[in-house]
Amino acid sequence: MVRYVSGRLLAMALTLFIIVTISFAMLRLMPGNIFENPDIPQVVREALNAKYHLDKPIMVQYGYFLRGVLADGDWGTSIVLQPTKPVFDILWQRIPVSMHLNIVSLLISLPLGMLFGILAALGRNRAPDHAISFAVVMCISIPSFVFAAVMQYFLCFRLGWFPIIYRANQVGWEYLRQIVMPVLALSFGPIAATTRFLRGELIETLSSEFMMLARTKGLTHFHATVRHALRNSLVPMVNSIVGMFVGVLTGSLVIERIFAIPGVGGIMLQAINALDHPVTIAALIFYSLVSLLSILIVDLLYGVVDPRIRMGSRR
Amino acid sequence: MTNINETSIPEFEGMFDPLNTEALKDDVFQTSPMGFFKESFLRFTRYRVSIVAFWIIMVVVFLAAFGPALNPYGFNDQNVARMNMPPRIPYLEKMGIADGSRILTNRRASGLSDLTVYPPGSIMEIMNPRMISGVEMVDLKVNYYSFIGLGDEYFWFGTDYLGRDLFTRLFRGTRISLIIAIFSVAINTVIGVIYGAIAGYYGGNVDMLLMRLVEIISGIPQLVVFTLFILVFGRGINAIIFSFVVTGWMPTAYLIRAQFYRFKGREYVLAARTLGVPDRLLVFRHILPNCVGPLITRAMIAIPGAIFSESFLAYIGLGLQPPEPSIGVMLSDGQRVLLQFPYQTLFPAIIISALMISFNLFSNGLRDALDPTKRGEF
Repeated sequence: MVRYVSGRLLAMALTLFIIVTISFAMLRLMPGNIFENPDIPQVVREALNAKYHLDKPIMVQYGYFLRGVLADGDWGTSIVLQPTKPVFDILWQRIPVSMHLNIVSLLISLPLGMLFGILAALGRNRAPDHAISFAVVMCISIPSFVFAAVMQYFLCFRLGWFPIIYRANQVGWEYLRQIVMPVLALSFGPIAATTRFLRGELIETLSSEFMMLARTKGLTHFHATVRHALRNSLVPMVNSIVGMFVGVLTGSLVIERIFAIPGVGGIMLQAINALDHPVTIAALIFYSLVSLLSILIVDLLYGVVDPRIRMGSRR
Repeated sequence: MTNINETSIPEFEGMFDPLNTEALKDDVFQTSPMGFFKESFLRFTRYRVSIVAFWIIMVVVFLAAFGPALNPYGFNDQNVARMNMPPRIPYLEKMGIADGSRILTNRRASGLSDLTVYPPGSIMEIMNPRMISGVEMVDLKVNYYSFIGLGDEYFWFGTDYLGRDLFTRLFRGTRISLIIAIFSVAINTVIGVIYGAIAGYYGGNVDMLLMRLVEIISGIPQLVVFTLFILVFGRGINAIIFSFVVTGWMPTAYLIRAQFYRFKGREYVLAARTLGVPDRLLVFRHILPNCVGPLITRAMIAIPGAIFSESFLAYIGLGLQPPEPSIGVMLSDGQRVLLQFPYQTLFPAIIISALMISFNLFSNGLRDALDPTKRGEF
């Protein structure tokens, strides 16, 4: 187990290092950044040099950048959006909002997706299965921003059931009402993905011999499925959580914009369009970190669930 | 060897009647043997949903190819005199759908006869008359085209905030989406096949090294790769395709690697190798053809993914350089005026949803049709 975990950690650190390096190279080598402006006064230039060590070779600059990030938590300051404000502070306010939304969406998606998956597998090739499969294709195909737009127009605007945009500092019932739409828009895809995956896995497992044994010894169809087949199907499903979480995180970029939610996605889009590179890079590293962490957690979970992996044999 | 029927053995002469040599005890095959692809095609034709999906794709492809040329408006003809026009389609307008109408609220009832404001034939319906502080006010449903003096123009899907024809823009955007999707998937497939074939065929340390590399690359979120590529290389079609290639080739490589592991130990491969067939031929002539079915399925599944990614990037402002249209850009522009002009979101939403659903259903059918375990099943 120790060897397995350390291997995963090493791979993760390497990936993160590559991402940070590429991001840094982009920041310094990109055409048209503020450091190349010839009109900068000498005083400002010296100040910039002192801050970013621009007069040193690029490798030395990279060393300073890494030391800043690792030792002091210094991600640089925003240039355009909120000048002189540390990037870390800008992101720190917004991370909880985004993460909250994503985790709620995932917590809804997994049980619902599993429920539909079991229903579809139990009623295989009959009406419930066909209905669920049809809905799955729809939900997997239609982009979340189309869902969001349709729901925003009909449910929020026409029917007025939910607020059209998100307002900060709401609590209790009002808060719940306003996150329903974004969370739903984010959840359709993952629900459908879970359903499809579990249905496929269950159908494969249902025809195996131990299921026949379970039925032979007198368990009901439902009981056998939930107690025996489901457990077996959960092992590969753990792995699909990563993709889902990263997908939800990416999707929330657009959903946050549609419902005007002050999350990381919004600030990243603004930063991209305003060419505020320090903010962009910090946001990208945030996304990478979250995705890598979820990969790590799932890998560890996988090790816990499946002893073959824990014991060090190849997947 | 002589035919036994013609051999006469003297001592048994006349004791036996020869069997009827004409009658065959076996049935003759009535059909000619069928290859894998022919059978797959026949199986595919039985999936009605997939056939419908295929024809929807064909219609959208046709419109993407020729749609922008079907009306006189260019994709970037800006004209503020005709901005945010509602959709108006010939023939359908007589049925009350897409008739170019718009509701104008709170108009003075006394001004309705003013022909300079309301040209003849522009008022379609007068609704909701009411008195507001002594003045009679009404809501009007007008033919917006006649109302602003463009009586014989037809913008099928309406126009946007710059007066650009949405039909032309939508299908020009669809065309670009399809081109990006097809090119990126084709390149992905080639790279994935070569990479997966090398990893799977040679195995051992080569495989270990290559797969560690894939693991590291696939740890980088797609979004990060897209953003970096497009910020650094600009918003060209090449940068977008390239960023899709960087993130998209790995599933194909995994697939091909797994297939190679399955087939490289088979006896026929061993036989070919014993006969001195070089590695290159073994890989491409003897093992790879086994992977064609899953490969086609994988590529077809990747296409809607690429279409989605393209429109997603365009939506968040990382798509092609304006004024080049894209479904994502149109959806994002439409989102801003969703509550006033929902049709500006409606049409791009329908097209992208139809395209994604059709491609998914089509590739589902293709997957079942090309599934080698279903040979002989109809």
